[in-house]
Amino acid sequence: MRLLHNYHYAAAMVLFCVGLYTVIVRRNIIKKLIGLNIMETSVFFFFVSLGYLDGGIAPIHAGAADPARMVNPIPQALILTGIVVAVSVTALALSMVILLYRQYGTLDVDRLMREEEPEAAEGGKEE
Amino acid sequence: MGAWRHFPIFMITLPLLGAVLLPFLGYARERWVPYAALLPLGTSTLLGLLLMGRIPADGFLSYHLGGWEPPFGIEIRLDYVGLFLMLVVCGITFLALVYSRRYIGKEVSGGQRTAYYVLYLLLSGAMLGFVATGDIFNLFVFMEILALSSYALVAITGNRNPVRAAFKYILMGAPSSIMVLLAVGFLYSATGTLNMADLARRIAESGYTEVLIVSYILLVVGFGVKAALFPLHMWLPDAHSIAPSPISALLSGLLVEVCAFALVRITFSVFTLRSSDLVMGTADAVGVAAVAAVLYGGIMAILQKDLKMMIAYSTVSHVGYIFLGITAFTAEGLTGAMYHMLDHGLAKACLFLCAGNFIYLKGYRRIEDLKGAWSQMPWTCFAFALASLSVIGIPPTAGFISKWYLILGNVKGGKWLYAVVLLAGSILAAVYCLRVIYYMFFQAGKEGAWEESWRDAPPAMLAPVWTLSLATLFFGIFSSLLIPSLLKAAAYLL
Repeated sequence: MRLLHNYHYAAAMVLFCVGLYTVIVRRNIIKKLIGLNIMETSVFFFFVSLGYLDGGIAPIHAGAADPARMVNPIPQALILTGIVVAVSVTALALSMVILLYRQYGTLDVDRLMREEEPEAAEGGKEE
Repeated sequence: MGAWRHFPIFMITLPLLGAVLLPFLGYARERWVPYAALLPLGTSTLLGLLLMGRIPADGFLSYHLGGWEPPFGIEIRLDYVGLFLMLVVCGITFLALVYSRRYIGKEVSGGQRTAYYVLYLLLSGAMLGFVATGDIFNLFVFMEILALSSYALVAITGNRNPVRAAFKYILMGAPSSIMVLLAVGFLYSATGTLNMADLARRIAESGYTEVLIVSYILLVVGFGVKAALFPLHMWLPDAHSIAPSPISALLSGLLVEVCAFALVRITFSVFTLRSSDLVMGTADAVGVAAVAAVLYGGIMAILQKDLKMMIAYSTVSHVGYIFLGITAFTAEGLTGAMYHMLDHGLAKACLFLCAGNFIYLKGYRRIEDLKGAWSQMPWTCFAFALASLSVIGIPPTAGFISKWYLILGNVKGGKWLYAVVLLAGSILAAVYCLRVIYYMFFQAGKEGAWEESWRDAPPAMLAPVWTLSLATLFFGIFSSLLIPSLLKAAAYLL
């Protein structure tokens, strides 16, 4: 019954696993990045649901508000930082995807990595 | 309340501030950027040196950001070990930055040069903050700054292979960051605090609940990827060997160690119930992984044909050493691990910069091409040889001291097998290092490979290389400067 009560945590963990599965199993690198974003979102969801309160109010102590009804603002503040980080990682990774596609002509991770050995020796030498 | 109490925060924020201001300078006077970038790092190094005598080996300096009291505000908690590592970071980043000017001027095209220095300062500032912070969410943020700037620096040239290596690094690094964030979330949900000291107190009160166990394992895996512990090291050889040489030096010599140090922090300052099954069981698993790392890294290094690839695999092996020192759970073992961070940083940075010299002057990357290099580039070759001695662990160098304490710590902890593995690792290191030295000094080069007029790397590149290699010798001979305090600090941490 505790699980039913805390269904949002379970949902976050399911999302996390979906994301991790996508990152590991999918071969298309854009899908991998989508999986990465699903993982990130699940963690954000977990954090935000930590601070959630049914019928909660903003934690502003100035008025005569009831402190017991205030939501916990810390997880939300943390997640704002987390979102900034996630956006920067995604932006950087996508810009690399563009470069990779221009130079290799494929988004398939197996084909990208298979060209490894001869290329690394060759390409390294000419630099 | 002297002014020196504010030094740690200046050490962290000056490089970050420099990173913000450099683009403006780059817009106005691009040629000054390499010199201007030295300023914040030099100041940080100076502040760190001034701080050196002020933090006792069995105490710490607590600095409250913005004057907010610790459990609510962010705290910087700098103990002796942390300051030691911060100084290592400052010193090596400074030297590699001096080296960068010539190397990057050739390797990276004009528009990206300012970006290189900006990212470089971000990376250095983030590493310093990562070591010093006493707040676990702050730790995550610094880790992300550090990771993002290192992804970008690996790919800075924008060529095929660097971008692919950086992408591989992202594919492993980003999920590991998310795991750390999730672990922070678990810790917060279970304890309601983010301050490490406060966390330690509450965890000691509550004992290990399931949530804490999961979060500890997530932290070990997350930082394990960043520190390239054996089964999670796949990104390292590519990223470290393909990045521009000064960046390889930073990634290999510092970043990996700083992440290993984060694990020390988590284990010794947050999860303080060390006799518990959780910490001991994890330590056993990490120990086995570290043994595998030492042997696998050593053997793979012997098999490599590319010089930088070989040095990168040697890093995989040395990460194993550091973790074996940590999992020994003795003061000697931890001292060995910390001293190994110093001498591995110096020696690895030196080796990568030497490899950079060969690439800069001749474009040679393969080990075979180095046959007879001595005749034309004696200074680079001698520095390489000296740093190699430290990597192997031959007596007058610092590598010997750290290996001695690592082995002593493992023997005292009753882990004989690990001590034997450490010795075996040295033999493997001797094989891969001496092969290169043999090629350099005792083999004749191919026709025309070295027959230009005598020309070594420019002084601006040789000076950092020689400072690093002489430092390995200095810290080997005068190890008594640091070892007693480190032993005391390690005993205090335990």
